Amino acid sequence: MKFLIKAITLLALSVASYNVSAQTLPDVKVENAQGKEIRVHSLLTGKPLIISYWSIACKPCIQELNAINDAIEEWREEADFEVIAVSVDDVRMQANAKAKAASLGWDFTCVYDTNQELKRAMNVSLTPQSFIVDADGNIVFSHSGYTPGSEELLFDKILEIAQ
Amino acid sequence: MTDRILITIAAAMTAALATAQVRTGDGQISASFETNTIYYADDKGLPGSTPDDHFGSNNYLKVDYTYKKLSAGIQLEGYFPALYGYELGQQENPKRFWLGSKYISWQDENFSVLAGNVYDQFGNGLIFRSYEDRQLGLNNSLEGISAGYDFSRFVSIKGMYGRPRLYTDYAGSWVRGLDLNISIADIFNWDAVMLYLEGSYVNRYESLDKDATYDFYSLGLDTPQLDMFSGSFNFAWKGLSVKGEYARKSKDLSTASSMKAAKGAAIFAEVVYTYKSLSVSGTFRMLDDMGTMLSLYGNGTGNSLNYLPSLTRQYTYMLANLNPYQVNVTGETAGQADIYYSLRSRHDRHRYWNFHANFAMAYTLSPAQSVTNKKQLLWNDVNFDIERQWNRNLKTILLFSRQEWSPSHGSESGTYVSNIFVGDITYKFDRKKSLRAEVQYLLSGDYEGDWVAGLLEFSFAPKWSIFASDMYNIEGTKKNYYNAGFSYTKGRTRIQLGYGRNRAGYICSGGVCRYSPAYTGLNISLTTSF
Repeated sequence: MKFLIKAITLLALSVASYNVSAQTLPDVKVENAQGKEIRVHSLLTGKPLIISYWSIACKPCIQELNAINDAIEEWREEADFEVIAVSVDDVRMQANAKAKAASLGWDFTCVYDTNQELKRAMNVSLTPQSFIVDADGNIVFSHSGYTPGSEELLFDKILEIAQ
Repeated sequence: MTDRILITIAAAMTAALATAQVRTGDGQISASFETNTIYYADDKGLPGSTPDDHFGSNNYLKVDYTYKKLSAGIQLEGYFPALYGYELGQQENPKRFWLGSKYISWQDENFSVLAGNVYDQFGNGLIFRSYEDRQLGLNNSLEGISAGYDFSRFVSIKGMYGRPRLYTDYAGSWVRGLDLNISIADIFNWDAVMLYLEGSYVNRYESLDKDATYDFYSLGLDTPQLDMFSGSFNFAWKGLSVKGEYARKSKDLSTASSMKAAKGAAIFAEVVYTYKSLSVSGTFRMLDDMGTMLSLYGNGTGNSLNYLPSLTRQYTYMLANLNPYQVNVTGETAGQADIYYSLRSRHDRHRYWNFHANFAMAYTLSPAQSVTNKKQLLWNDVNFDIERQWNRNLKTILLFSRQEWSPSHGSESGTYVSNIFVGDITYKFDRKKSLRAEVQYLLSGDYEGDWVAGLLEFSFAPKWSIFASDMYNIEGTKKNYYNAGFSYTKGRTRIQLGYGRNRAGYICSGGVCRYSPAYTGLNISLTTSF
């Protein structure tokens, strides 16, 4: 057991010795709002993206997406970007999630990661978790958790990469 | 103790690297680390609630490498020992550090193949779902191989074969399956309509003679083979989408306590309709002996090959979650309906009303499940909530829920009723500082009587949050269940420290529940990734 733990530590150290740059967005399958399977890369439009994970039982996730939706018109006056809300609700709550997202009038794309394949591929341990993806599909920023006002951090990063 | 120090060092190293995102040539490495660690304190108010070791720690380190179309990864898991109440800790070796998951995969435009731990779902999960839920300590992935091929947009086929993971070991069974999905709309070039047809087959093989203490033949099993089939459709047109699935299985024991083998069947249906800011959804499911174990020799929440969650509302409020419903896989008719409506100002996006109502119910499938020889109510919940965003600073939520539940899980006729009232207010002082408060009251005729609860949370965005809550049983035990702590977030790293007393009860995640004993303790959780 000690050997394995030492191996992990060494792995972490060796990873740190490499040059640091951005990761690319994984190209796994998710469902769109109509239930059709699509690849994540088909959502790339050449504009920066905010990707935000949520679920019906995650209250701060919904707060964050509502806050983004409230501010999105003002933000878009300063930068051209897209928002993708990724629901990790499984079959139990997927219908509910679709109904809620439609009713809340979110002015962005909603996709459904029913068996959490994208969540695993992006190493998301907890929600809320948000990512900023640049126009080339590179993940350039990420933030865990949500407290009212922290959506501003995402917009600041969008402005940074838009410049 | 040395192990604990070493894992702490490993955690600190990973946390220190958390801000890095790493590319090695054309390849990329990403990783995440999560620890949930509790020091259990002696509490005179909860006698007998402290494990001997006073310590529990669940740890996960996941590392993935991607090079063009090739991916590989591992997940190391350490339980030192598993947190108190987790079924993981009730296995032969509750302290375990092991390679919980690994894979190597190749994904082309139309073709994918994976060797290692397979996570997948067929249809709506009625006959097969392999997934991980760390909150429940559940991981039923298949160690084996899977492959899939897409024939243009029209047809996709996938198959898998392997042995299922059961807690921190592997079940003695072998599972194989095949799934075929046809896009009828693409074949006929229907632009406005989406229609998929899907057929799935799953087989579980497990010898009936591995352990002489089990006599499965006397319970009616006569073959080591279990066959499961399902057929489903998925239709969407404009704002309407409809799903349906029918599944059957051959003779099997649906739970570890089943006294007679029986054939199983299930029906699942789901409708969603949206029109402007009005949305309606409904889900129905019938289960008849549809529980399917990974292994006939195993037990517990994690010993499940298919996914049969409860169809009830998921609450985020303490008192509304006091008596969560557990699905009855041997026989149940259940469903829920939701209606959402949003009223928004055309001129100000910061002013709106959100209305939501939910109705959920579950009944026993057969009169024979009750001593009364009548179908019995298992669960009923009628609830609504009204959310009002008054301006940029103030938001209020009011919630009411009437829950009726059977303490005997339908075997007798008596039920308890709880009426729950919640008020929730959030006030933003400025762009960074905010305060949230909850007041809750539960009015009940059950053996514990009424409860009251409250929560205060102050946040300083985007890094700090401090919280304190209390739940008090007014009429029964007259005990306080308090919690206080803080969280700190920087980028992809979040740490939370809290101390509190937790009530015994069912912890549910995704509609699957595990029993958690009462405990008092200091809890530290850390998640990070790069």
